[in-house]
Amino acid sequence: MADSGDRRRFIYNLHEQSKPVGAVRWLPSVSPFLRLAAMSVLSPPAIEIHSFSSQSPNPNPDLNLVSSYPLPSSATSLTSFKSHNYTLIAASTSTGSLHIFSVNPYDGKIESQIISISDKDSFHCGPIQSIDVETSSTGECATAGEDGRVNLVLVGEDKVENFRVCESDGLVAYTAVKWGSPVEFVTGGVGPGLQWWDKRRPGGPVAQFKGVWGRGTVTGMIHSIDIHPSRKHTCVVGGSSGAVYAWDLRWQQQAITLAGTGLEAKSQPFSESEVWEVKYDAFTPQVSSTKVLPVMMCSEDGFLAVLQQDERPVQLLEEPCAINSFDIDPQNPSDVIVALEWESVGILSRGREETEMA
Amino acid sequence: MPGIPSDSSSLIPFALEGSSQPPPVYPLQHGLRAPIHRIHISWSRGNLLNVTCLRPPPDQQEEMAREDDGIGGKAIEVLLGGAILEGNIGEHKRRRIAYESVKSYAFLHDKKISLAKMETGDNLSAPALTYWWQYTLEYSKSIRDILGNARLHRPLIEDPKNFLKPEEVEQPIGTKAAWELMEIFYVDMQLLSWLPERLVDWLEGYDSLLSKTETVHSKLAILQRKVTSMRVVEDEPGYWNGLAAALAVGWLDVVAKLLRLHGSYDPDQFDKRETENGLVEAVVLLVSEMPRMRPNLPNGKLGICYQTKHDYIKGLEKWRVKVSGLESSPFWVHCNHRPTRDGLINLLHILLGDAKHIADATSHWLELFISHLLYIRPLTNGLEGMGNLAEKCMNLKPSANNGLTSLLAGILSENPEIVLADCLKAFGPWIVAHAVDLLTANSEYTDGLLNEERYQLGGASIGELYMLVYAQALASHPLTWQVAPAYLSTCLNQGRGLLEILLLRQPVQNYRVVLKTLEICHLYELGNISTHIMKMAGMYQWKHGHKGLGIYWFQQSRDRTRLSQIAHKLFDNIGKSLSDDSFKQWEGLMELLGSDVGIAGGLEFLHKYREFKRSLQQIVNGGTVEAAKKSTELLVQLMRNPSTPQRFWLPLLLDSVKLLEWRSGPLLGVSETNLLLGKLQELSMAKLRPDFHGGELKPNALGDVRLALAKNLGRAILEES
Repeated sequence: MADSGDRRRFIYNLHEQSKPVGAVRWLPSVSPFLRLAAMSVLSPPAIEIHSFSSQSPNPNPDLNLVSSYPLPSSATSLTSFKSHNYTLIAASTSTGSLHIFSVNPYDGKIESQIISISDKDSFHCGPIQSIDVETSSTGECATAGEDGRVNLVLVGEDKVENFRVCESDGLVAYTAVKWGSPVEFVTGGVGPGLQWWDKRRPGGPVAQFKGVWGRGTVTGMIHSIDIHPSRKHTCVVGGSSGAVYAWDLRWQQQAITLAGTGLEAKSQPFSESEVWEVKYDAFTPQVSSTKVLPVMMCSEDGFLAVLQQDERPVQLLEEPCAINSFDIDPQNPSDVIVALEWESVGILSRGREETEMA
Repeated sequence: MPGIPSDSSSLIPFALEGSSQPPPVYPLQHGLRAPIHRIHISWSRGNLLNVTCLRPPPDQQEEMAREDDGIGGKAIEVLLGGAILEGNIGEHKRRRIAYESVKSYAFLHDKKISLAKMETGDNLSAPALTYWWQYTLEYSKSIRDILGNARLHRPLIEDPKNFLKPEEVEQPIGTKAAWELMEIFYVDMQLLSWLPERLVDWLEGYDSLLSKTETVHSKLAILQRKVTSMRVVEDEPGYWNGLAAALAVGWLDVVAKLLRLHGSYDPDQFDKRETENGLVEAVVLLVSEMPRMRPNLPNGKLGICYQTKHDYIKGLEKWRVKVSGLESSPFWVHCNHRPTRDGLINLLHILLGDAKHIADATSHWLELFISHLLYIRPLTNGLEGMGNLAEKCMNLKPSANNGLTSLLAGILSENPEIVLADCLKAFGPWIVAHAVDLLTANSEYTDGLLNEERYQLGGASIGELYMLVYAQALASHPLTWQVAPAYLSTCLNQGRGLLEILLLRQPVQNYRVVLKTLEICHLYELGNISTHIMKMAGMYQWKHGHKGLGIYWFQQSRDRTRLSQIAHKLFDNIGKSLSDDSFKQWEGLMELLGSDVGIAGGLEFLHKYREFKRSLQQIVNGGTVEAAKKSTELLVQLMRNPSTPQRFWLPLLLDSVKLLEWRSGPLLGVSETNLLLGKLQELSMAKLRPDFHGGELKPNALGDVRLALAKNLGRAILEES
């Protein structure tokens, strides 16, 4: 069972969209008054940039559509990042194309398209399920697809290069990818657990975590991976059967279960459905330095919760429909944006009671 | 009749012979030039029809095709039977209502089930019913909120000339009006004593929906637009008409506001109008003191409330005396302004319940009905009396009926089947599915009527039938189908079957969608359906070359048959080629299949087999004795190993012939040869079994091997002795 969080300290606003929303991401904001968020929508498929005023006297500020970037098919993965003072958005689609474009950080208008790759032979044939951009040095974008390919796309001065890291001919369907360091990244997928790759050692993964999902009784899929910049050897993973676990590269044989029936029997299942996304939560204070950092997760059965090792989960939201995606604002970790199955987007602000009282 | 279109560009529906009404014709603009060669009609989502019109192919009429820039046809979407009143609800608003109402609905049904469990029988007994209507009322209120709260933005400084309600943020929607009407009549038992007043309130909210032009609301809206530009309002007949109309339907606050716009209130005037002003003010006072048979009044509304019938009648008598006193007052003679005098007296007549004046003031029969309830028969109770009154009003003021008025007529005629049918026609399946609980809340008769299982409906009840209709509407849209199971699960007779069909029909291309579907299967404990879906997903992925995902789904669904087929196929291929690339593939597949291959140590065997094949290759290319010996060792190891699949024995033995026929001497000893002979014998026996899997080998292969083994045995015995 989960503790329900102290809701009084939360401000939660629901914004109805008249179309299905897939993924949501905060955009780095320049002004404290105007916040920007990107969301992938369907019918027609596009990435929309919305703005809202966070300092408005209106307690329920509206999300305003600023601009829209059309996609050839539905978006499967979305990420936003900053590079050389540009705010960039990268999105992959279900037909195997990758799009990167820049957005004006002041008003959210789309400035220019930087990349649009779509090639069945040299890139992906089939849905790209996950992308991640290495932002600290190389700016490389890793793409992992259902077709069993992992590609790296380098955005250079004038040219775009992409090279294949792995071609598994469909033996593995990759569903998640995350950079750990400028040269290392982790992929997850269907079947054999997690793979740790090192660009300096091509030819195959340097480490593998064979998913002993549910001690071999069930197998599952990995939907999301996150790696904390200060703990590059540990990755947290969310997947089927409500499982959230942490895998430490230094102790490869066993993983630490944070939630779900997944790996150990002793932990009480919190949610038994798909965990669509996991992210380290910088807002929740860390209990002990030896433990896994607090992790936020969202699930198909409508939960948004913060998980901690050996602690009871703190439930933030319990929606009547699935939460497909969420994002924690890196600049204001108290603010969380969530995408709900029923065509709406929610914005949750935590710990603002002082400002409310004033 | 395919291929034979009519000459005109209309579609004519098929009419039954002998039907009295001529078939309605709906012209369809397709913009193609005649002749139309072919028309295809197919159903799309919901009640959307796809009509494809094709012109003759170009080879027949090439010249025409050139003229028209080759437009060979057009596909048109036709939306059929859109609800009449609901033109102003967008598609996304409809979906929003569907999403949000499911929560309230599911909550009510959980309550019903838990109450039924507390009671012994299946049906709710009398004590449960007494508080059941309160749950239903709560449910009804939550649904009403979903349909839209009239959020009014009241201006800080009120303009005296703004007498009409400020423009609402959302236009009132017919569905909500219908819902409230049903709530008034069927659910709220406390309000029955002041039903007429409830209807007055209801009309105030939804008068504009009755008709576009012929309502009190439309009259007042016109007046509101004009009033700002009017200099002397009391000279305008529209002003007095508007006043009479507003008073007739009981909008007392509007009347008071309007009267205060009267010119006699103006401080800067030359004439002496004190008496006139006094009369106007007296009417305002009487209007605001009108007795009303209701517990309370919302803020800003006028009248004096009476809780009990007795007090009300007393109050009413007193007030009527005052009104008739003013009517016969001598001051009217001193009122010089004729329109004011006539207008005010008209208002007093309405207050006194003069049927003729009331009939003149109202436009729609429903308004006439309401004003009768308000001024002439305020104590009308019971549906029968109201029904008679409504019929009378309809005859007096025949106006075009729409969904709302026919709904009210249906309610008053006490026929729930008609009520539901009217609702379905006017407002679509959503309201009917949700309203069944309203109708049955307080009436055992209706409950029996709507929830009785009917043979001619395939065992379903009327209520269930409407639920199924709504669930079908939900299921036909890719965004709302996930809501449908909540309704289907409450349909005891046919819901389960339809739910299974719905789940099996979901696309399996996207694994996320599959997982969402499986989640619903899990929720409703449909284990066999989820197995089916996983098998379908597996087949789809396998066919499209996503072997990993395919095997994953097969494993999840525990599809032994397919997995072993895959394993067989895999082993068949292994014998054929041993290039590095394909070996990697097999290795991967073997790893994926894991223990499901049904052969212990599958991967270990694969590696040993490969090693053996490689060394054999070297020997064929001219190897040394050492190499040959090593190969022999590997062969014996493979044959001794219990994990070597039986199907590989014969190929291995065939391969061994090369070693057996080694020239420089026998490579296999007596015991080893005996082992191979034993295996050969076992294989010959196994061949007789029906499940033997022989592969594609020469028919005389066994004989060849046997001969070679026998020769070798002979040589080995000689050697060892």
